[in-house]
Amino acid sequence: MNSAPMRSSSFLSVFWQYLLSAIVIASITAIFFTLREALDTTLVALLYLIPLGLITALWGLGPGITSALITFLSFNYFFIKPYYTLAVHQPADLVILLVFLIVAVVISQMVGRMQASLAASTAREREATQLYELSTALAGFQDDRAIVNILAKQIHAVSHGEYVEIHILGAQPFVFQLSEIDLPNRPPELTVPIQAARDVLGEIRLWKTGSAIPSSEKRLLQTFASQGALALERARLVQAESRAQVLEESDHLKSILLSSVSHELRSPLSTIKAAASSLRGHEVNWDSPAREELIAAIDDEADHLNMLVGNLLDMSRIESGALRPKREWNILSEIVGGVRVRMRHLAVDHQLEIEVSEDLPLIPVDYVQMEQVFTNLVSNSLKYAPVNTVVRICARAEGEAIRVQVFNHGPQVPPEHLERIFDKFYRITAADRVTGTGLGLSICKGIVEAHGGRIWAENVPDGLAFNFTLPLTWDGAPPPRLPLDTESE
Amino acid sequence: MSNTPHILVIDDEPQILRAIRTILTEKQFRVTTASRGEEGLTLAAANEPDLVILDLGLPDMDGVDVCTRLREWTQCPIIVLSVRDGERDKVAALDRGADDYLTKPFGIEELLARVRVALRHSTNSQGNQGKVVRAGTLTIDLAWHIVKRGDEEVKLTGTEYKLLAHLAANRGRVLTHQSILTNVWGPADADHTEYLRVYMRQLRKKLETDPERPQIIVTEPGIGYRFIADE
Repeated sequence: MNSAPMRSSSFLSVFWQYLLSAIVIASITAIFFTLREALDTTLVALLYLIPLGLITALWGLGPGITSALITFLSFNYFFIKPYYTLAVHQPADLVILLVFLIVAVVISQMVGRMQASLAASTAREREATQLYELSTALAGFQDDRAIVNILAKQIHAVSHGEYVEIHILGAQPFVFQLSEIDLPNRPPELTVPIQAARDVLGEIRLWKTGSAIPSSEKRLLQTFASQGALALERARLVQAESRAQVLEESDHLKSILLSSVSHELRSPLSTIKAAASSLRGHEVNWDSPAREELIAAIDDEADHLNMLVGNLLDMSRIESGALRPKREWNILSEIVGGVRVRMRHLAVDHQLEIEVSEDLPLIPVDYVQMEQVFTNLVSNSLKYAPVNTVVRICARAEGEAIRVQVFNHGPQVPPEHLERIFDKFYRITAADRVTGTGLGLSICKGIVEAHGGRIWAENVPDGLAFNFTLPLTWDGAPPPRLPLDTESE
Repeated sequence: MSNTPHILVIDDEPQILRAIRTILTEKQFRVTTASRGEEGLTLAAANEPDLVILDLGLPDMDGVDVCTRLREWTQCPIIVLSVRDGERDKVAALDRGADDYLTKPFGIEELLARVRVALRHSTNSQGNQGKVVRAGTLTIDLAWHIVKRGDEEVKLTGTEYKLLAHLAANRGRVLTHQSILTNVWGPADADHTEYLRVYMRQLRKKLETDPERPQIIVTEPGIGYRFIADE
């Protein structure tokens, strides 16, 4: 209630205060006038002091003094004999009138001053509250845009400005504008720099119609600007720190990768080198069966090397976010069938069972990447499952997704490792016991997630199952129905 | 034209050039090599080779552009070489007129098989276009529109036959999704890969001994399909 006079000192509200004061005095006068014969002049004078005090308390010194003068005149005009003139005949009345004027003005001034100092302290309190609100709102944000967004909204709310725009300089400059309304077609009324310890981070521009912006508000905006500068600086420090952390981590990963890769690359290379040099050195007879074996070893190990390099490339592509699926509507059974054909030489010691119906809906996936997922899951299964056991791939539609399972009779994984086996280079067994880069499963995870799916492993009776889901919709569109022809030639 | 086919190999890796030249010379081909695109184009214009083997990753120009420029004046078969994951480039080269592709690293057997298919296809297209295509027990008479498995005629729908006939006429060559769709369904449907997937499944069910392990129409992952006919 008492914030009304201060929140805005625009011309209109001042005018209303004076007008209302006049109306109040007029109404009181009218009431006293009807009771004029019953009331003593002194009593009227005393009663007049009540509305005067209230008006000053409510609307401040200006309306108070004005009301005092109006009251003085109407008192004289209506209640001091002779009525309806400003002349005073009785000396006693003159004394009453003078005393009334002095008392009225003194009261108005005292109440008004009290009021003003109250207003000032309320304003200070509100400034402190607003500042507190701003700094709480800004705490915890580490993104320049989020900080600027909050800053602009708070400034807009506090200043009652028409429009706020914040320009941010630096490595990634941008302009934040309040979106609800259009940018006014004139220069801003107030610009405040966002000044940090070392340099200027940006500028706040405020458009505000009406009278000039009071200095108290300018001061508040400057405080807001420096709060904003602090928040932005803090955010930049945090970002720099996390960048440093990421770099350190990726450095660490790279050294693991290098040691893993050199270990992995060396073993096929040793085989190739040994086989090729013995063939070249004529130590093996041309018709010896060993010759064929050595040649096969070179061929196989070259394929193995090719696969390792492919895995590394895939991983770096996933890491850098460059793995974008080239989606097309595909038939899952065709993809799985292709994998079966391609892996027939590797799956000789196991039975590969496929239960993927060709009547499943079409799925929007990248054919080559999906093949990669199946290849990696199956080769992982072949690696760990005992020989002569079954590795089974099955799939079924579940709501708006397809769920695929690759099951093997391999050893179960302790529950605490189930999630981590999809991490890079994560192994449960010692690194030298199993071959591979430790990247196969994390590549699967990268590809499935790039397709909007989810992958997980679970222990099932007699073995381990890899599960993943793939959405059946593509940008919200369901699998297409085709215009099939049935007529024969 | 002499009897030994002349092959131009354009690749910037000396080791690959050495290996391909050794093997192809051994197999009685005449071989010319170039390590840059411009050099390859000049040699092709001067020698009019019977076949071009073209690496897509050249230092001086895009291999796909080399392909386009060759096709401006010659119909000689082009086999492109590219690294794994280069599907986009392979498809672009095939759509600009290349006949086949090989992914590095490849086996020499595979290269020789592709070279033989490409050379045979180019002689076929110059004259006696084979009207009857055989693949295993399957016989396709392109003149009479008759498809038989053994002695039994296979009933095909109109679209199925058009698709099969297009594949069989281009037997041995890899055909991209887009080119098949454009030829069989028309340019407006060139992006509807799903048509192709579904019709291909139907065709395989009718033609293949084991539709799960297709031997006649094989999938080229990420690229398209290839019809494997008897030699």
